[in-house]
Amino acid sequence: MKHTLTIALKNQSVAVERFLRVARHRGFDLTTMNLEMADEAFHVTMTVDSDKPIYLLTSQLNKLVDVKHVNVENQFQQQAI
Amino acid sequence: MTGAELTIDLLAKHGVKDVFGYPGGAIMPIYDALYGAPVKHYLTRHEQGAGFAAVGFARSTGKLGVCFATSGPGATNLITALADAMMDSVPLLAITGQVPTAAIGSDAFQEVDVLGMSLSCTKHSYMVERAEDLAEILQEAIHLAQSGRPGPVLVDIPKDIQMAQVPFHPWLAAEDHLPKLDPNQVAIANQILSEAQRPVAYIGGGVQAADAQNELMQFLEKTHMPAVSTLKALGSVLPDYEYDLGMLGMHGGKAANLAVQQCDVLVCIGARFDDRVTGNLSKFAAKAKVIHLDIDAAEIGKRKPAKASLVADLKTSLPQLDCFVTPDEWLTHIESMMKEHAWRYDYPGEKVFAPYLLNQLSQKMPSTGVVCCDVGQHQMWVAQHMKFSHPSNHLSSGGAGTMGFGLPAAIGAQVARPNDFVITVSGDGSIMMNIQELATIRRNNLPVKILILDNQRLGMVRQWQQLFFEGRYSETNLSDNPDFVQLAAVFGIPGQTITKADEVDAAVDALVNSEGPYILHACIDDKENVWPLVPPGAANDEMMTETVK
Repeated sequence: MKHTLTIALKNQSVAVERFLRVARHRGFDLTTMNLEMADEAFHVTMTVDSDKPIYLLTSQLNKLVDVKHVNVENQFQQQAI
Repeated sequence: MTGAELTIDLLAKHGVKDVFGYPGGAIMPIYDALYGAPVKHYLTRHEQGAGFAAVGFARSTGKLGVCFATSGPGATNLITALADAMMDSVPLLAITGQVPTAAIGSDAFQEVDVLGMSLSCTKHSYMVERAEDLAEILQEAIHLAQSGRPGPVLVDIPKDIQMAQVPFHPWLAAEDHLPKLDPNQVAIANQILSEAQRPVAYIGGGVQAADAQNELMQFLEKTHMPAVSTLKALGSVLPDYEYDLGMLGMHGGKAANLAVQQCDVLVCIGARFDDRVTGNLSKFAAKAKVIHLDIDAAEIGKRKPAKASLVADLKTSLPQLDCFVTPDEWLTHIESMMKEHAWRYDYPGEKVFAPYLLNQLSQKMPSTGVVCCDVGQHQMWVAQHMKFSHPSNHLSSGGAGTMGFGLPAAIGAQVARPNDFVITVSGDGSIMMNIQELATIRRNNLPVKILILDNQRLGMVRQWQQLFFEGRYSETNLSDNPDFVQLAAVFGIPGQTITKADEVDAAVDALVNSEGPYILHACIDDKENVWPLVPPGAANDEMMTETVK
């Protein structure tokens, strides 16, 4: 199932590597990603694909020191399905 | 003040008195600042030894462990210890030197992208890019390693920043956003407990991390709940607790595994349903409602769904579980299983029986002593046959299962607890992985004891080859081992070799009563296996027991 996430990161270049590594390692394939710098933070919108429930990724991302917040954009749709 | 001086000064200000490391080109300014400083440095003979000594220091005290290494190979040699600390949630600070800022990215001598390498094996990591950031980064790193769920943090400091004049600004830790208990989940947990007929408490390493042994024992004494422990949790449940079933899992006791398989409520206290614990996950505690207590929200539902989740420090969450008393019928059944499946030490034959030797050691060594294991059959025998009164007295590489852990971890534990009895129990395979640290024992006159259970094999691999690979013993024969007593003697460490069962009692006495470092080399039967064993893919109630040799 595909999920769209928005993530705000501290503006440190290693932060991007860090969250991408977690997504790969936890079994979520990246399908699209957009990254913009604004207000001294990286703002990422990305879509990931996995058979695993999305909370297994968001709970790991939320632990990263560089991650300010993570939102699942299509959570409502998932629940409706 | 230079960056190097500030680094040492900050460690001292945060109460760090002992560090472990190995110097080299890119960290020379920090070693220069160490010269004459109030922080004592222990030179190990390999950076991995420094990493594991820091892990041993941290795990035997609950305090921060600190290690230093230079750039490039120095830092890569620390990686295994960082991974080990990550898997076992150990508060560790690794400081590595890096080539000067201007040389980074040029493939300079001894340059490795240590920050990149650290991403998968640290809780967090930094490369200091500006001298003015150094003080804040170090203070944040010290805080992060110990906050929430502890873990390793690495700070990579380029040589020019170590040498630069740096400002010092006290850094005030941001308030930890530790999770707060959800009262609804507490209510659900207590409702489940009130209906439980066959509850079991499944104890993990979180009890030590939260310093919550008292809260755990109050909960157990109040409820009389049967308790099983992970490898890391051993010692959390006090040895005289009536319903302590010991370790569960692949080499767990039969009564422990059967109790979990039969339970209707499983209270998971700071554990993470590791695959070595659960066996076939779909069959693990299949009838049980799970109540999961953990400070890390990411552990909830990661491997097994929970009916109630108490995400908080165990000191806070454990007392929230209401008074509840385990039904007598279940306790009677537990007692009968404990009796039926108790360990036996009446081993026939003339050879040294490792479980008996370890049980004797457990009875004769001080209860405040620290046992540091390596990895393999001996590690499982220690877990099965020795008793511990606190998890800081049993240091065993759990999640990572790192051979070579034991000797340097014992060095760290002995430095941290100089007045306590410290012993490493190792195998003839594992001991050779960091054997160079005998020099560190000698250099510092540490009274570390060493017990080698020698079957001239990589025993656990050999056991699996026997059971699951049709007896094809590929690369597990170590019959060309060196003479370990002679080897230790070269480092000024006395000891003896035993080969027979009737030598065990006197040899354990000599080991326990020795003044300084001592090595007991015990030759055991090369065909002896660790039982019981849950084979791969099986449920925990499908244990293999001794049938073949």
